[in-house]
Amino acid sequence: MTVRDVILQVAQVLTTLLLAPLLQGVILQFEERVQRGQGPGVFQPYRDLWKLFHKQIVVPDTASWLYWAAPIVAFTTTLTVPILIPVLTNFPLPLSDMGDILGGGLILTLGSFMITLAGLETRSAYGGIGSSRAVMVTILAEPTLILVFVGITLLAKAMLPFVVNHLLVAEPSVYWGPTHLFLVAAFFVLLLVETDRLPIHSNTHIEIYMIDEARILEYSGPMLAVLKWASMMKQFILYTIFSNVLLFPWGLSYRGTPLGVAGSIVALLTKFLVVACVVVVVDTIQSRLRFYRYQEPLAASFLLAILAIVGTQLS
Amino acid sequence: MLAAHLDPLAASLFSLLAVGSLLLSFVMLGSRWLRHYLYAFAAQSWLIALLSAAVGFYGNYSELYIVAILTAAFRGLLLPYLLLRIIRRLKISREVHVILQASSSLVIGAFAVIFALAVSYHIGTALDLAGTVAVLALTVMLSMKLIGFQMLAVRHEAISQILGLLVLENGVFLGAQILVPGMPLLIEIVILFDLLVVVACFGVLVRYLLTHVGTTSSLELKRLVG
Repeated sequence: MTVRDVILQVAQVLTTLLLAPLLQGVILQFEERVQRGQGPGVFQPYRDLWKLFHKQIVVPDTASWLYWAAPIVAFTTTLTVPILIPVLTNFPLPLSDMGDILGGGLILTLGSFMITLAGLETRSAYGGIGSSRAVMVTILAEPTLILVFVGITLLAKAMLPFVVNHLLVAEPSVYWGPTHLFLVAAFFVLLLVETDRLPIHSNTHIEIYMIDEARILEYSGPMLAVLKWASMMKQFILYTIFSNVLLFPWGLSYRGTPLGVAGSIVALLTKFLVVACVVVVVDTIQSRLRFYRYQEPLAASFLLAILAIVGTQLS
Repeated sequence: MLAAHLDPLAASLFSLLAVGSLLLSFVMLGSRWLRHYLYAFAAQSWLIALLSAAVGFYGNYSELYIVAILTAAFRGLLLPYLLLRIIRRLKISREVHVILQASSSLVIGAFAVIFALAVSYHIGTALDLAGTVAVLALTVMLSMKLIGFQMLAVRHEAISQILGLLVLENGVFLGAQILVPGMPLLIEIVILFDLLVVVACFGVLVRYLLTHVGTTSSLELKRLVG
């Protein structure tokens, strides 16, 4: 363990922290432009956060300590996961072996769980609806997630994201094999579901359609800013796993030199731009599904994960 | 056996095509519109034709190119065209009363695939073929057969049932291409003509049903006559 590695690990967390609002801004801006709107500019999420941090906190009378704990826990979990995954370097850093993919998933789910509790805790009607819907979506998405993990494990014979990354870079036949391609497809559906995109999540801000946002309706000021930032960071983390581990395993720093790290940040932004463009296209051409058809994209994703597992028989 | 020793990229290509056609049979299972089944079936046949050509290329079987062309022409163009004519005449564009919702039948199909996976895994270990394309082809073949059976069982529009039968047959054909690539050309041609006869008979049957029963849904065929 050298000083350089520690600095790199801190840099990974800082990258996630600072670039997450930019990703959100780019997606929203592109969506507006595709739909012939003007758009607020790619830096709008930063301005929103700045504004919220300078506002007053209004606390509901019914709130207990959980109301205060939930945003902090959610923010901390999203700060923890970038330690475990390859954001900038393709070699494990000092604390990267704390947890594998399952561990990262567990930590992210913990944050989501705390927000669900906070939504229920203030006893507002919308918070309850939001929490119950969010839990239902999670229940539908979880089997697929587990199957994707099983597929990755069978593919790479390991659950560490770095091993998967190295394998995909080294073996083109694995990269172009069915297992990997179907895992990418299954994970893409999960990505849409987990980052509040269509076809399940609505992009209009009306309480009736809200799922994840309804849970945080009672928050205001800096607490709301922390929650929003946490959800943007969760999106950034999922995009990182999707592009750095599965879709584009190239373009990460090999030696950890400053130049390499700068290059890998540029590469990361390029990869995210590609994924974000695809997400924008999906968001534009898809209409929101009816509540009782939520299971359909997730059933399709489940199936893709099963097909990926079928493909692992080859190796 | 060709499938037991292939270079990795060819094995990847074969398995991609095989799993792709399995995916298309799930598209058929998950959609409600008859026309979409038909397009998925045509696409699946084209994939299988590509697979035949690829097997012919990597295994140096020149007659497989002819099989590929015949497959694309018969299963990919002629059979879908004939079925499309029947669908146009029927004025039914989708399954109206579904027995199983699309997502439930997808999940049941997925479990059928897991069953096929387990069976072929055991066969593969017993025959000392584990980790080759042969096992994967066996899985895809078995699961396409099971999905075909499932389509026959849970769908009741006559068109869906014939497509279920054709999917079942496509599965067998796909398995045969990878497992026994040296199968004589004559047998392939016989099978193709058999299919043509099946679809032609089916067209006649549909006309009969329309004039005498007034529907092609098997839900209405409850009364015993004769």
